[in-house]
Amino acid sequence: MAEAMADSYNGDSEPTTRTLLRRVLDTADTRTPRRRRSARVGAQKALLETPSSRRLSSPTKMNVRRHSHRVRSIGRLAHVHTSGNVEEQTPRTLLKNILLTAPESSIMRPESVVKPVPTPQVVQSSRRDSSRGSLELQLPELEPPTTLALGLLAPGRRKQRLRLSVFQQGMDQGLPLSQEPRGNASASSLTSSLNLTFATPLQPQSVQRPGLARRPPTRRAVDVGAFLQDLRDTSLALASPGDSLRTPVATLPADTVLEDTQPFSQPLVGRSPSGYHSLTCLSHTEVEDAERAVSLRTQSSGPRLQNHSLYVCPAESPGCWFLLHVRAESVLDQDTPNKYHPGKPAELLAGKAKKVDAHAVSFPNNSSAISGEDGVEPLQDGVDEEAEERMEESLSVSEVMDTTGTQGSVRTEKSKRHREMSEAVEAKEPEGSSGDEDISGRRASPELASSTTEFLQARQPQFLEPALPPSTAVLSSEPLEPLPTRLPPRARTPGPRPRQDPHKTGLSHYVKLFSFYAKMPMEKKALEMVEKCLDKYFQHLCDDLEVFAAHAGRKTVKPEDLELLMRRQGLVNDQVSLHVLVERYLPLEYRQLLIPCAFSGNSVFPAQ
Amino acid sequence: MAFSTTVSQRKHIKRKAPRGFLKRVFKRQKPHLRLETSGDLLVHLNCLLFVHRLAEETRMNAFENKCGVIKKEHVQAAAKKLKEYGKI
Repeated sequence: MAEAMADSYNGDSEPTTRTLLRRVLDTADTRTPRRRRSARVGAQKALLETPSSRRLSSPTKMNVRRHSHRVRSIGRLAHVHTSGNVEEQTPRTLLKNILLTAPESSIMRPESVVKPVPTPQVVQSSRRDSSRGSLELQLPELEPPTTLALGLLAPGRRKQRLRLSVFQQGMDQGLPLSQEPRGNASASSLTSSLNLTFATPLQPQSVQRPGLARRPPTRRAVDVGAFLQDLRDTSLALASPGDSLRTPVATLPADTVLEDTQPFSQPLVGRSPSGYHSLTCLSHTEVEDAERAVSLRTQSSGPRLQNHSLYVCPAESPGCWFLLHVRAESVLDQDTPNKYHPGKPAELLAGKAKKVDAHAVSFPNNSSAISGEDGVEPLQDGVDEEAEERMEESLSVSEVMDTTGTQGSVRTEKSKRHREMSEAVEAKEPEGSSGDEDISGRRASPELASSTTEFLQARQPQFLEPALPPSTAVLSSEPLEPLPTRLPPRARTPGPRPRQDPHKTGLSHYVKLFSFYAKMPMEKKALEMVEKCLDKYFQHLCDDLEVFAAHAGRKTVKPEDLELLMRRQGLVNDQVSLHVLVERYLPLEYRQLLIPCAFSGNSVFPAQ
Repeated sequence: MAFSTTVSQRKHIKRKAPRGFLKRVFKRQKPHLRLETSGDLLVHLNCLLFVHRLAEETRMNAFENKCGVIKKEHVQAAAKKLKEYGKI
């Protein structure tokens, strides 16, 4: 049948597919519309079915196509579609076959595909030209492939060997989709289009919008292994120096190695602990522990590491304290063997560590400083002092240094002082003694700091932001005494500090808001004034809420009380409701929590 | 299905409310009282509005004095004014 049809059009040897189609269409018009319609419907159905049954290949059709001229085949197809030719089966089967075979052929046999490709394209173009209502159904289906085909046509000529990659490249080039189905081009484009539709249904979209074409993102393998290796190396390096720490003298090289190999080392964390550690020779075990804890710093880092970890912990995290405690103990234990080095610093550190535990004031700085510095006892004492006083890191560091004595390399003068202090501290005297020593030590520490040129020194300044960065550096740099534990030297200042700081920090949040709303430069005194106002405001607020809750006979302040308060303040009135204010000023997440909203499943949140 | 009471971690809220700070302040002031869950958000809202009003008033005072910088006196005067109005 197809052949018959093909033969009928043998006479049409026009090169242009379009003209051929036109001819077909013209001839088709003469036919009865009904038949055409039925044929078209059948063709449409076939079209619809073909996508699902594309796999099926009709060898007959292929043969027919191969034999028939490309134009003829196209014409035939067009004729079949448009005219609803005599044989109902023909158009349907033709179309079906074309659709079925075309993709396959395009993939498997590029050459064969070329022929069928033009036919559907011609058909489509003919459809467009004819703009028949009946065919519209089919048009959209074939439109994308057609456009794709056209696009392909433009850039590439007969690409008989159309590979997917090439095709995609062509697609990515942003096929302008020239609407000129040239014979060759049409074939190739059809092939490519068929490939496209067959392979990636998404392609059509990309073709029409080349900007949206997606390419698989090239991924580079993350060199996690290298990074881990680096970590391990550094940790190992840290471990080795720990041993060296035991020996009083040559801590420098180890320290330098350990200095700061951690990519993620945080200056804050590293500060005191590293400094202290470097200063004091920590027992190897300590170092190891520290390493495990932090897996960062170098040998002295043992305690330093711990300090690091401690630093990382929030000021009031119990975990830090626990670590500190452990550290202190370890330091204490190890202090004894390394009397020379730790001497005072160790003691001081130990003491500090213990004190730190006792006070549970975890100032990472202090703890780290303490631990870094020395052995157990001096550390302990120092820790206690610092913990209680909340001394600043630098101070603690200096203290530690003093108490523990620069057991490490440090300067003779310092070392002497330290030794003295360490001896005194060895007794684990109460803070007072250590305090004195610390004071002297502080003086010494600055000297030490200046004198020592440990690598930690370089690091220390960063760590110890407050007063004694240099001292810290000295402490840390000098691996004088093993820092048994990193006791939080942060407890430099006494108790009241903790109350003020968080309170001030919270208030500063609103002070910043004030300066933002003011939009003008402000003096420092003005800011302080604002803080005072806020304080007063909070007091008034609490009092008012208490009164309202008591008035309602409650002991819990509820949102109703808040609303009443705002109403009294004139913020909420009949025109402006509380919800309006919430919507206006609060972020969306809070609005969700405050304003009841209906959700699916017949639920309201928050519950009313 | 209701929303969770907590905000998921990945959400980044601009101008977060220091809920912990507010709760702590309230507890310090009135340890015998309790503050409900969403109450501190409204307290935060109240603070925002207060600060807003205070800043507006301060700005007006600074303009009146033809000052380019906000000074302590401006703030004080603004606070006083607000107080006499009952923190309106």
